[in-house]
Amino acid sequence: MPYTTVLSVLHGDAFPDVTSSPAETTDVERSVSPITCHQIHVIATFDKGRLSLTKTDNMCQRGSVPLLWFFMQAALVLVSCFTDIETGPGAVVSTQPNGDRFKIEGRAIVPGVKTQDWVSTARVLVEGEEYVGFLRTDGSFAVNDIPSGSYVVEVVTPTYRFEPVRVDITSKGKMRARLVNYIKTSEVIRQPYPLQIRASGPHSYFMKRETWGWTDFLMNPMVMMMVLPLLIIVLLPKVVNTNDPEMRKEMEQSMNMLNPNPELPDVSELMTKLFSGSKGSSKASSSSKGSRPAAKRR
Amino acid sequence: MAKLILLLLKLCILFFVVHAVFEDQVGKFDWRQQYVGKVRFSHFDTQMQSSKKVLVATESNVFAALNTRTGELLWRHADKTGPEGNIDALLHHAQDAVLVVGNGRMLRSWDVNIGGMNWEILLDSGSFRSACLVGQQGTVKHVAVLKKTVISVHYLSNGHQKWIENLPESEIVDYQTVYSGGNGQVFVLGIVPHSHITIVVYSMEDGEIIKQVSVEAPWLSNIPVSCVVVDQGMLMCVDSTTMSINTLDLHQQQLQMTQIPLQSLGLEVDPDFHPYLVSHQPNPAQKPLSEFFLQLGPERFLLLQLNNGQIVTLRDFKPALLASFATTGEKTVAAVMSPKNKTACSINLFSADTGRRLLDTTLIFTVDPNGGKPERLHVQAFLKKDDSVGYRVMVQTEDHAVTFIQQPGRVMWTREEALSDVVTMEMVDLPLTGTQAELEGEFGKKADGLMSMVLKRLSSQLIMLQAWIAHLWKLFYDARQPRNQVKNDISIENLSRDEFNLQKMMVMVTSSGKLFGIDSKTGGILWKRYLDNVPSNAAFKLMVQRTTAHFPHPPQCTLLIKDKDTGLATLHVFNPIFGRRSQVTPPALPQPILQSLMLPLMDQDYAKVLLLVDDQYKVSAFPSTKNVLQQLQETASSIFFFLVDSSRGRLSGYRLRMDLSTEQVWEVVIPTEVQKIVSVKGKRPNEHVHSQGRVMGDRSVLYK
Repeated sequence: MPYTTVLSVLHGDAFPDVTSSPAETTDVERSVSPITCHQIHVIATFDKGRLSLTKTDNMCQRGSVPLLWFFMQAALVLVSCFTDIETGPGAVVSTQPNGDRFKIEGRAIVPGVKTQDWVSTARVLVEGEEYVGFLRTDGSFAVNDIPSGSYVVEVVTPTYRFEPVRVDITSKGKMRARLVNYIKTSEVIRQPYPLQIRASGPHSYFMKRETWGWTDFLMNPMVMMMVLPLLIIVLLPKVVNTNDPEMRKEMEQSMNMLNPNPELPDVSELMTKLFSGSKGSSKASSSSKGSRPAAKRR
Repeated sequence: MAKLILLLLKLCILFFVVHAVFEDQVGKFDWRQQYVGKVRFSHFDTQMQSSKKVLVATESNVFAALNTRTGELLWRHADKTGPEGNIDALLHHAQDAVLVVGNGRMLRSWDVNIGGMNWEILLDSGSFRSACLVGQQGTVKHVAVLKKTVISVHYLSNGHQKWIENLPESEIVDYQTVYSGGNGQVFVLGIVPHSHITIVVYSMEDGEIIKQVSVEAPWLSNIPVSCVVVDQGMLMCVDSTTMSINTLDLHQQQLQMTQIPLQSLGLEVDPDFHPYLVSHQPNPAQKPLSEFFLQLGPERFLLLQLNNGQIVTLRDFKPALLASFATTGEKTVAAVMSPKNKTACSINLFSADTGRRLLDTTLIFTVDPNGGKPERLHVQAFLKKDDSVGYRVMVQTEDHAVTFIQQPGRVMWTREEALSDVVTMEMVDLPLTGTQAELEGEFGKKADGLMSMVLKRLSSQLIMLQAWIAHLWKLFYDARQPRNQVKNDISIENLSRDEFNLQKMMVMVTSSGKLFGIDSKTGGILWKRYLDNVPSNAAFKLMVQRTTAHFPHPPQCTLLIKDKDTGLATLHVFNPIFGRRSQVTPPALPQPILQSLMLPLMDQDYAKVLLLVDDQYKVSAFPSTKNVLQQLQETASSIFFFLVDSSRGRLSGYRLRMDLSTEQVWEVVIPTEVQKIVSVKGKRPNEHVHSQGRVMGDRSVLYK
């Protein structure tokens, strides 16, 4: 439940750059007279360890300025006592040598492999090599002697790959495990604590050699250009029933589309007419006309 | 960390430029060697008859198990580098190995068969003094850890603390050793130097102080160095000032130590030598042996026995370099290494309770002249079928090398642990073959004339033809020989460049002062050389002064070893292909050296010039022949260098003058209150710049 406290701040004192012209206020309190009410109230909420301040311009009081000032001071003191600022990722609070030391516990599992096979080559690294732990024979580990702060814990083996986990330790010893996100460092996707880390498979150090497969032959463009049309020509008539008169009609229609229209002038004849002149064409037409009556007389 | 301890030296070298590594190429062009570091503690795993492991804990914070048959690493665990991961003590019992790490920060128990940890607990703060296994009625179930102000006893099975007690008067008394004889009591021995010994006896059950005794001992200053516990709780301390052995029965209430002068045994101590005692407790749940070694001189050991309060000399070993006990089953033997001649030592076994030499137990160990002297001896003893004792021995030498030897002297394996800390290296081309040298002969000389060039070409081709026929004949001859007679080893004698100059000689300099020449194709060590008198915090710089490209002159490498504290330096000049010291004598350097600089100027015999700047800002050149000095005088005005004094924040630039002195040209002061110079990086001295080259008409190459 958010703990709320109200800070009322006098305009011009604490936030000098905040103006409260009635035109900017929301539709909350229009009835307030603009001359006297220049007080901005700031609501401080403490929720889930974060302190957020929101500005509201509602209330308006007159004449109780010193009391309000006192209240604000008191509230500020109260708020600072309850704030628990999250340490940013990577900020290690290690300046007190006499501070409490904690330990990070967890268990690492490689599915399908007995622990004693891989445990002798494994180490647990907390924040790089700053704190080193080792795995027990059953795959569990505990890294001792760690001050409070935020750390990236990873299990390192030459054979298997484990995902790193971020662990935050508060100064009182509360542990919280979450996913590692270097970009959005304050994102919290909780992981179980004590840590349970599963191997996500063996390391892949090598590139696979290119192998032969049946797709190499079929996906070759040359083959596709030859084989597919062959298939179309050979198989398509078999699929289509050519004895059907309707099918025949359709096929003939599509064939007719391919034939040139005799009404349309032939382009090549046009060109020869253009370039050879009228004599040649008349000769040609007369010779053609001559040949026809000759054929007809017979 | 700039100083890469890197206990793991992994070298993967890919010869071919590949765009990726495929799994079937692994191992063809690369090799890898793993090291652990200088051995600090070692225990043989004698759990089973056929046990094949030796556990080692090293100076480089590594705890590892080695296979005794092949010397290969079974597993290893590297802790943090630095004093926080330092291994203070190694205790071994059955399948568990207990380590105290980080000056008493943590107690860990490892399962030696699997290589995984059993448990780890954080100990209370306090600097570490000693630890021991506590046994009771024949079984060992607890481990006691003694710190500066507390003693704690933990269960061996899970590490939980059984009890922890403050040591009485720990501000005055310096508690140094803890001992348990297997009767349910834990003895803590402390000392006020040159005043008295305090013995506190704790009960193992609940940590109650059973007894607390103070005994006067004004001559004693350090317990672990001078005293051991022998037999049923008898403390024996050797005192060099009064030449006597003082004994004290820990179980009785003695007020004074009994003094037994060494003269009564007919012995005298070598002057200027601190005598040293060695005892042996094979089973922590039982009392130690009543026999012990006393070292009276650098080459003199005595096997003594404590018999009813009297010391009896069983055997006098003179000369003897190292001595050690070993137990197998019920028998205990003493192994003593004595020098035989200049190059070999012999190790013999003696029965511990009688001092008689056991027959057929001589083992010859050849001391490598290029290695260090033997430093420690670890013996693995076992019972043979006829109930006699056989043994194998692991010898640790000064140059961090570990050798495992079997009777009668056959070396099973050697581990060069100096390679775990390589400081610098250079890759040196191998010498040219005859035919390649012939080919090179055509270039470089100015053209004499057409006929001479033709004749030269014809003659070199004839020589190459001859060499090729000889090579074919040799191949044919080898093919006809039976397989096992053809030797295929790479030996240093027939090393020469291969066709593309890919196989090179890797010259490695390690921080212990040992030089290695490693073949880059197979990773085998071709030559090694241990330099004496290398200070422990030395800085090394390796420079190739002459490569193998100039035939009649041998290749030459120079190693500059500088002591960081005093600044004094020595030069070691050697041939990188064979590892032998070069004929050229380096100059003596009486002044501390500030900087060294290698110039591309070459001497008449093609050796590059090395300039050394001493703290008087005077320069000395290494091949200081007339030719070199003349060249330097000509080019002196264009030789500049800068010096950095980071403690005062001063950077200064100097120029060389013709008489090899220097004058300051510029100076920049960065006040140390404002900023501190942390590191200075110049051009890497072993940087090879490969520039594009273009072949000109007269066969010379113009580099960009």
